[in-house]
Amino acid sequence: MTHWVMVIDLDKCTGCQTCTVACKVENALGPTIQRVRVLANEIGEFPDVKRIYIPRRCMNCEDPQCTDVCPSGATFKRDDGIVAINQDECIGCRYCIMACPYNARTFHAVEQSYHDTPSEWEEKRYPEHTVGVVDKCDFCCSRIDKGLENGQKPGIDQDATPFCVFSCIADAIHFGDLDNENSNVSQLIKEREGFRLLEAMGTDPSVYYLPRRY
Amino acid sequence: MLLKTKVPTYCVQCYNGPDLFYAVVEDGLVRTVEPNLECADISPAGGRICVKAYGLVQKMYNPDRIKTPLIRTNPKKGRNEDPGWKEISWDKALDIVAGKMNESKAKGPTDEGGFPRFAVIMGQAGSPAAYMGTLPAFFTAWGSVDFSIGGGQGIRCYHSEHLYGEYWHRCFIAAPDTPRTELVISFGHNTYASGGAAGVFRNAQARERGYKRIQVEPHLSASAVNSDQWVPIKPKTDAALMYSLINILLHEKDRTSLDLDFLKRRTNSPYLIGPRGYFIRDRETEKPLVWDIKAGSPMPHDFLEIGDIALEGGYKVSGIEIGPDNERWEHSEVLCKTSFQQTVEFTSDYTPEWAAKICDLPIETIRGLANDIVKHAHIGETVEISGEKLPYRPVAFLLGKTVNNGPGGYQTVWARTILAMLIGALEVPGGTIGASQRLNKPHHDRWSSVWPGDDGFMRNNLNPTDKDNWPTSPTSRARYTQLAPLVLNTGWSPFLSPYPLAWLAMGDGWRDVERTTYPDVVLLYRANPAISMYYPDLIEEKMANFPFFVCLGYTHDETNHYADIILPDHTDLEGLQLIRFGPAVHSESIWKGFGFALRQPATEPVFNSMDLTDFSTELAFRTGFLKEYYDAINAGLILGIRLKGKGFDHLLDPEKKYTREEIWDRLCRASTMILSEGKDDHNLQWFSENGYYAVDYPYIRHFMHPVMVRWGLRYEIPYQSNIRKIGKELGNRLHENEISWWDHQLTEYEALPKCEDYTEIWDQELRDAGADPKNFDFWLINTRSMQYAWGSNAALPLMAEAAKNVPGFKGAIINTRAAKKLGIAENDIITIESIKTTVKARAVLREGVRPDTIVFTGQFGHWKTPFAKDLGIPNFNTLADPDPANLDAGGSFADLVKVKIEKVDL
Repeated sequence: MTHWVMVIDLDKCTGCQTCTVACKVENALGPTIQRVRVLANEIGEFPDVKRIYIPRRCMNCEDPQCTDVCPSGATFKRDDGIVAINQDECIGCRYCIMACPYNARTFHAVEQSYHDTPSEWEEKRYPEHTVGVVDKCDFCCSRIDKGLENGQKPGIDQDATPFCVFSCIADAIHFGDLDNENSNVSQLIKEREGFRLLEAMGTDPSVYYLPRRY
Repeated sequence: MLLKTKVPTYCVQCYNGPDLFYAVVEDGLVRTVEPNLECADISPAGGRICVKAYGLVQKMYNPDRIKTPLIRTNPKKGRNEDPGWKEISWDKALDIVAGKMNESKAKGPTDEGGFPRFAVIMGQAGSPAAYMGTLPAFFTAWGSVDFSIGGGQGIRCYHSEHLYGEYWHRCFIAAPDTPRTELVISFGHNTYASGGAAGVFRNAQARERGYKRIQVEPHLSASAVNSDQWVPIKPKTDAALMYSLINILLHEKDRTSLDLDFLKRRTNSPYLIGPRGYFIRDRETEKPLVWDIKAGSPMPHDFLEIGDIALEGGYKVSGIEIGPDNERWEHSEVLCKTSFQQTVEFTSDYTPEWAAKICDLPIETIRGLANDIVKHAHIGETVEISGEKLPYRPVAFLLGKTVNNGPGGYQTVWARTILAMLIGALEVPGGTIGASQRLNKPHHDRWSSVWPGDDGFMRNNLNPTDKDNWPTSPTSRARYTQLAPLVLNTGWSPFLSPYPLAWLAMGDGWRDVERTTYPDVVLLYRANPAISMYYPDLIEEKMANFPFFVCLGYTHDETNHYADIILPDHTDLEGLQLIRFGPAVHSESIWKGFGFALRQPATEPVFNSMDLTDFSTELAFRTGFLKEYYDAINAGLILGIRLKGKGFDHLLDPEKKYTREEIWDRLCRASTMILSEGKDDHNLQWFSENGYYAVDYPYIRHFMHPVMVRWGLRYEIPYQSNIRKIGKELGNRLHENEISWWDHQLTEYEALPKCEDYTEIWDQELRDAGADPKNFDFWLINTRSMQYAWGSNAALPLMAEAAKNVPGFKGAIINTRAAKKLGIAENDIITIESIKTTVKARAVLREGVRPDTIVFTGQFGHWKTPFAKDLGIPNFNTLADPDPANLDAGGSFADLVKVKIEKVDL
């Protein structure tokens, strides 16, 4: 089996927002919709202060709560572990948004433009999305599927890998198969003691974080 | 079926570029952009591209762009005047511009003041060259152009480093040797915001390796966040901290902590200093003398083997001193101390205790920094680079904006260089290196610019200060050839000149500074001085008086509001241009190869814009300068590539009018023939398909050390005998010409620059204005985020959306406890008042800022630029009102101002 997971190295994430913007352009996401949001958390009091950046996104959980509450079956878990949304079946009830412990979903209410008049790019690309449905990170599963069809390896070949991975200028995002104990992600999680957010929720997230060492 | 292609191109929205990438095009639409990882092996960014490159798609399709040439119909110019823009054809617009230029040309190249009648304003100094196509060739063809009134110089600039860095070690901008360094101490250098993709990528790799990074800065900037230690220093006191570190190394640490071999061989430390403060010299050869311990006598500096040279002490010597204007003093048996000895004694009072008070830092923190330096210096160790053994000193020092411009700028650059010098960590693996040079040539190869000069140092061609050669009349409105010897007089020099003088004196003169004239024609490209320069109100007032003002514009903005004609040029994904990349461009853009990359149209232009090469050719044709324009291109003005050489002849024929494709095709072929030494002849089509052409660059050439050894040269540090001399000469020239308004700047030219508490300058400015400094108890400083570090992205909503995730973008960052004392809560509207004006901003409460400091992010305050005008973020420059009398000797000022803040009761 294959279990795609993402590993984010907090030692290297600099909070530059490149992954956020790259994802928005690749996936034609309108104003305020961010599948990856880099949270900045300030810790301590002056002068002993640190700021930690945590890229927050859909955790593509192995035991997702969003699928349980979805009344139409639009949100579903694939065999490779990715939680996807069938936009044609989503009825926009937003139960999944309420159920997600990671606040990782956004309701795409109406089509908005960044400008007073939509640009040619917006006119041509925004229709790729259905309005009135929920949006979230699905590890760019269409890139993965297409890459596999072409004999490419997700996490290694650029075209078969979630767009944010090679967009990260700090090389802080890694992608691979957790079921392969020799994969890059398996090794990183083991060597760096990768952890997951809100593990106590029991959703078995597929996004791992490598702890900051400084 | 959809036609999907990947078009190779590049981004140079900031100095750190180019970053090579692909535009992904589907059915004529640029869908997205993605990194070109094929260049990962040679690219300093591992082939990655930063957030701004992804914004290029929105930049291209932005409906707020200027869509076609516009002409003003309302002759009255003012902020509240409607220019009455009317659309005109390109043909008509070019005819009008050429007509105005021809009218001006008919009157002669210079006006009654001796200034060029044609002036050009460019933002970001040199980076627009990557977008200007062949426009520089038109400027050369035209001949007399004043570039000194706007290149962004001095403001948000590493100005002193540019000048002194190039003088000492061809270091226009410094970088750590990040792949090898163990310790980086950054005094305000914001690598993570303004170091581009390369800065982040290289530091992330170093982080993986376990290096240590210390950020000295008043607030927890993007770079402080990503450092192991944040040292929250009081604004503008970095020089004092650095001097105290020198003090600790020289007065508290054992001499074995220093690289004595480097000091003796590669610096002027052993040179003996005469009673007048200049090198004492051999009477016959006029070479500086050092002391031969074994012989017990003085010897010319280049005579002795290393083991015999005295580094410390004073010795009785006979010889001569040569001072300003060739004044000579004969000495017999006078006590002369070594340069090193003078430095030791000079720094004795700059103790950590002294600095701790000025910098508002614990003494233990200062000593901790010094201990770190010693711990990581690896004195005596070597490493092999490109097959050659070099010293390994993995400690690097960086300086940021505000730190190294304006008052104390010389001191910080001197101290930074001396710190590196003491441990031999200058221009060697692991240490501080000059990432690029811009004043000296060739820009793309620092080694080739080094030639033996006087006194055992590398040759420098400073602007003359001697009586025979000093220009009695200014040649530019910023007067850099007269006032600033270290600015030199090469292509980049105007961009580093004292530009505030040019604007202040334009029209009516300013204080005692003689009036300068308005240029007949001003052409502006990629700049918005009404926002980004000091004195924005004054800049607007002067621009309103420009007789004819042409702006190449992206959207309407605060500057082209005053234009007579606005011309829309192609954006990044529409234009065509070949540029050089590598071997080193900016701070961390240090490549493993170098070559040429093509920017090409990814698809058809969205609006009726024009490529700047076509624009230049048309302008040259319509002004009658086509032959001169082609001559400039043929001679190598573009890219430094001549169109005729061994095995190729692609010269442009003045009888023909070429398209942009025809011109760049010739440059593509010539460049690859030259770079491959005749092996490869790649045309435009080849570049269009492959994107770039590269050859290996031996990494060793990024270090100056081998070439210094090869020539037997020394760095002209620590003692500045020549700086002292040229300062005196400059004073003589200015006073002979009854110019006294530059006297304060003349005090900078010290052999050993004294350090002081520079914050007093701001308090004095307040007192001079009749205000009590106690009432202005906050420092306002400015910082950057990557989204807005260069790039002219204020009009892009996508960048703002990303920036809003970064703390501080939406308002003024203030320390939480300091805010609470004033009854200010998160998101409260506060007033920020300087002696010049008052603005409003939203309070952003954070622990990561000193209690006496507030921070603005980026440069805003727009009132015309679409989208940006609605952000409601004030402009730092409207609050700062620096007294030009306090400009430093290079003509720059520091970006900070004292303010008071108050909550607005709604």
